[in-house]
Amino acid sequence: MIILETRGLKYAYPDGTVAVQDLNLEIKKGKKVAFVGQNGSGKSTLFLLLNGTLKPNQGEVLFHGVPFKYDSKSLRDIRKSVGIVFQNSDDQIFAPTVYQDVAFGPANLGYSKERVDTCVQQALEYVGLSRLKDKPPHHLSGGQKKRVAIAGIMAMEPEVIILDEPLSNLDPAGADEIMELLNEFNHFGSTIIISTHDVDLAYRWSDYVFLLSNSKIIGQGTPADVFKDTELLKKTGLRQPTTLEIYNEIERRGLASGGNSPKTIPELVNTLKPIDLMWVDVPPRVREGDNLNLGVMYGQYATQSPYEAINATVLHIHPDGRAIVELKRKGIKAGGVLIYDTDNYSLPEIKQILKEGEIVFVGAMGKKSKILAEQDGVRLDVSSGVIDKTILMALCGKRCLILTAGGMVDHAFKRIKEYVETSGIEFTVGVVSREEGCQWLEQTKDSSETLKI
Amino acid sequence: MTNILDDYALMSPLRHRNNWLKLAIVLFGLLVGVSSTSPVPPLFIALCMSFTTVALGRAPLKLYLKLLLAPVGFAVVGILIIAFFSGSGQELLSFKLVGYPLSVRKDGLELALLVLARSISGMCCLYFLALTTPMIELFAVLKASRFPEAFIELSMLIYRYIFVFLDMALSIRYAQTVRLGYSSFSRSLRSLGMLGSTLFVRSWEQGDKLFLAMNSRCYDGKMTLFEVKRPVGTSELLLTSAYFLLTLALLYLTKNASIV
Repeated sequence: MIILETRGLKYAYPDGTVAVQDLNLEIKKGKKVAFVGQNGSGKSTLFLLLNGTLKPNQGEVLFHGVPFKYDSKSLRDIRKSVGIVFQNSDDQIFAPTVYQDVAFGPANLGYSKERVDTCVQQALEYVGLSRLKDKPPHHLSGGQKKRVAIAGIMAMEPEVIILDEPLSNLDPAGADEIMELLNEFNHFGSTIIISTHDVDLAYRWSDYVFLLSNSKIIGQGTPADVFKDTELLKKTGLRQPTTLEIYNEIERRGLASGGNSPKTIPELVNTLKPIDLMWVDVPPRVREGDNLNLGVMYGQYATQSPYEAINATVLHIHPDGRAIVELKRKGIKAGGVLIYDTDNYSLPEIKQILKEGEIVFVGAMGKKSKILAEQDGVRLDVSSGVIDKTILMALCGKRCLILTAGGMVDHAFKRIKEYVETSGIEFTVGVVSREEGCQWLEQTKDSSETLKI
Repeated sequence: MTNILDDYALMSPLRHRNNWLKLAIVLFGLLVGVSSTSPVPPLFIALCMSFTTVALGRAPLKLYLKLLLAPVGFAVVGILIIAFFSGSGQELLSFKLVGYPLSVRKDGLELALLVLARSISGMCCLYFLALTTPMIELFAVLKASRFPEAFIELSMLIYRYIFVFLDMALSIRYAQTVRLGYSSFSRSLRSLGMLGSTLFVRSWEQGDKLFLAMNSRCYDGKMTLFEVKRPVGTSELLLTSAYFLLTLALLYLTKNASIV
């Protein structure tokens, strides 16, 4: 379903500078969309047009298929539904305290005092700033200010959240937190639109990418398609994402194969193998293209984990009965990932899981879980890029625990599950559920099953 | 950044107490201090207020003494003049300075002590307010006292942007200093002028951005102020009443007493 759409959009500033011209785009509901382009390519102006703050000279913007009207009541509805977070938080936060600033939007929507209060508390809880609600903005760090700005928009419960350069001036940890937050909103159904000139971010994070150059859209599509086109990227003055560039180089040298535009480091690592060919003796009835089960191998034949179940596809059969097969290996004794929902948090339980599950690697996602872990002295091995790093650890046969809450539980589970399915490397992944007790040790051996704990 | 009074007030535990109670305590202190005819009640008030500010309000003692030093310095100069040049009655001390006779008389000394005590108590009361009640708490008080809404809204925005512009001014000044903008007097003047004009232009731009930001969150000409309800606790009430009664009793007892 298309939520935002523009048709023949043109906007020039009063001094004649054309900021956006002939823009036709469609943004689907529930997607993570990135606008990528150099500085001055018209991203910020486009965003102000999408929110109704600027009125186009030509063309129209449509929300749920209905063209924007620019009378004050329609504008109010649009601005409630399409929230915008500015690049510089100081431009956006104008109230003397955090609470007052977040309450500004809901109060303008005419909510009752109690409802405003619930909205604000929820938004602040969400971004992990409840404890700072009475602070003045000038006592906050850059990352905290950004989160206040996001909470201010969140509190109005918009369907679309637009963020102009959300990661500018943030340190890596702060940037990870913001992106995690955005993923969480998206998980609950919000459409997220960001602008960035960080190609790595756009490539890794988004579902759909628009390339902007000189106030026009010169390319769009899934990140894998858009960033494959080096000619197009050259035109916009951007470079290829690092993971993609590395992959292209190692593929050219025959060191990797089979990866279809790896986005994350685990995906990249997974491509790091040349095509695995072997001579085998085959029974006479086997044809080319058949699948063979070669059984379990170990020792020098198992290259990726101690024991491997190997399937093979027959590529070519020699007249003397020997055949060339392509091997597909499945590790049997890899590690596992356990996800713990901190909404029902208890420290003794975590300690028990850590001990009985022989967990060597702990990560936390989301501000709330990180604060909990910090308070109770649970040692965190990783607090940013958690999913990727736990996958990498699990691949090395380690057992990992992820502490997280709310929608992030499903999100993490889905991501890891997807990885297991697409890579063919099996390791256990499961969500801690209390009803069935803690039986993770016995069940790790049937590694292909999803672990029930 | 903890270099202005407001920052200490923001961190003070007394910040979260009822604002009206604090205002009442300060007003009471000021009135009693001024109406007292003996230096004892004002000194008592000064002592109580200082104790509250430093011990309960956690203001750093060093900072507090430093803050008091400035007004006390002025007061001391003033009372020296009063002590030597006014009053009549018994002569307590006299000497000659460069052939000019100087003497301190009973009335003069008493007046001088009273002035000193009053000014110190007044300062202590005001510092109590300044160090425990940040500006952001006073907006609610202003609103409750029926100040015009526009005035309160403006002051809220101004309060916020003071710090934005302060940061901006500091970074501009730094940028000028590293390029030797303040190496001589005439250069300093020119740099300062540039700083001022840049700040003016920036604040103009900031105004535009502010309007944009407010508009994109459905601004309709009214900024709602949310007050935090802070009921007065029993212990606070008891303590305050005890303090009031004690001060009043002291005021009554020292009505006609003379300390010199």
